[in-house]
Amino acid sequence: MRIALILLSAALAPAPALAVNQVALDNSVFVERVTTDASGKQRVLLEEPKIVVPGDRLVFVLNYRNAGAQAADRFVVTNPMPSAVRFADAGDTRPVVSVDGGQTWGTLDTLTVPLADGTRRPAQPADVTHIRWAFQKPIPAGGAGKLMFRGIVK
Amino acid sequence: MTSKLTYWGTIGVAAASVAAAGPAYAAGTTAGTSITNTATVDYKVGGVSQGQESASNSFTVDRKINLLVEEVGNVTTNVVPGQSNAVTTFQLTNSSNEVLDFALAATQITGGTASHGGTDTFDATNIRIYRDNTASGTVGDWDAGDTLVTYIDELAVDTPIRLFVVADIPAGLANNAVAGVTLRATAREGGTAGTQGLAIAQTTGANTAGKDTVFADIAGVAGDTPRDGSHSDNDDYTLQTATLAVTKTSRVISDPFNNTSNPKLIPGAVVEYCIAVANSGSADATSVVINDPVPGQLTFVTSSILLNGTVTGGTCNANGVAGGSYTNPNVSGTIATVAAGDTRTLVFRATVN
Repeated sequence: MRIALILLSAALAPAPALAVNQVALDNSVFVERVTTDASGKQRVLLEEPKIVVPGDRLVFVLNYRNAGAQAADRFVVTNPMPSAVRFADAGDTRPVVSVDGGQTWGTLDTLTVPLADGTRRPAQPADVTHIRWAFQKPIPAGGAGKLMFRGIVK
Repeated sequence: MTSKLTYWGTIGVAAASVAAAGPAYAAGTTAGTSITNTATVDYKVGGVSQGQESASNSFTVDRKINLLVEEVGNVTTNVVPGQSNAVTTFQLTNSSNEVLDFALAATQITGGTASHGGTDTFDATNIRIYRDNTASGTVGDWDAGDTLVTYIDELAVDTPIRLFVVADIPAGLANNAVAGVTLRATAREGGTAGTQGLAIAQTTGANTAGKDTVFADIAGVAGDTPRDGSHSDNDDYTLQTATLAVTKTSRVISDPFNNTSNPKLIPGAVVEYCIAVANSGSADATSVVINDPVPGQLTFVTSSILLNGTVTGGTCNANGVAGGSYTNPNVSGTIATVAAGDTRTLVFRATVN
């Protein structure tokens, strides 16, 4: 009985001290410009999004840090695509994506998009509506990292 | 990145209701649109879900000015001397990410090579620009229902419109003469229907937080540089006229003594005249009227006129269809058509007095 009570109280207990702002997230965007110098070498510059016009390539960078004293588990970063930005790629960060507004998730090659005639076609980067990174291992206290993806201004 | 990622496969998550995709404009997101990107983090500490963290950034899409002026159908417009309302056809597309006005200018090129390889040798007159009326009349072709314009008002994005440059052709020009014309469109501020907007300048210097302007147009015809907010294309008129040359030959058909065997030009002999009209131009000559006074020493043979005969190897075939008329002393007849490159004849006979 006592054991059961303890279990019950544990189940009903309010979450222990919600660590407010334990995880710090920073979201920045750059315009990726490729210039070719006199010798023909290509140079990629990341600029602040000052002049941005349709067709420009954007690099979105998400920096995260576990500022708390405990490890953060089941760490999931979700980023809906802005409606005016077309997803291009996510470098080597290997996220799962959604092409249906966040209903279903998977790597891009596993997803399909319904067509008007009832059939489905393989999903393209332009179909992506959401990006999500789900970490398998906990982020230790003080742990930090960076995620990125590229998009193109529609 | 230090942490390993796992693919969760299908995770049932209440979908954030985000529109799947905005309308897909080839010209792109409308200028002035603010793009906000928000990322959220869900995580647990000690097995307990923590409050969601999110981070956003936003920026404004600037204004990209781009337009395209293109000749429609890559062929010259054939014209005849003195022709009114000779039409060349262009297309204007607003590829900017904003609705804009466009100032239009149609000009002549002076000398040099015209759009389709010929050398510009003359100027058309009375050059006007019309916008095709797509609601009535002959859509795609110039007609009376089209609107005379000097600028295009509030042109929607990615919706090509058809423009006609219409000019008059002077008379008295040689076959194959060429007149080149240029249509140039320059982006102007949109936003006020019914009036032509102000000129647009590119934003120079530092970016502003608001909507900046970037020219993104390509170079047009000679003198139209890239990224100047305007674009242009050439077309040309090529004169197609008939060039007629007339030759007159004669032969003795018979005389009263030798009859048709080696006839001589003695009184009473019958002479056949052949008037050949050769057209070395590029256009058919129609209603070619031939007049020939019969010399006083000859007497016209009644009803001997043959019209629209042919020439073979420079020799008059003396054939054709009876016709024409004779009003002393003139023989006259009309040949309906002398086609380009063709020769047609009028033949008649007379006797030596």
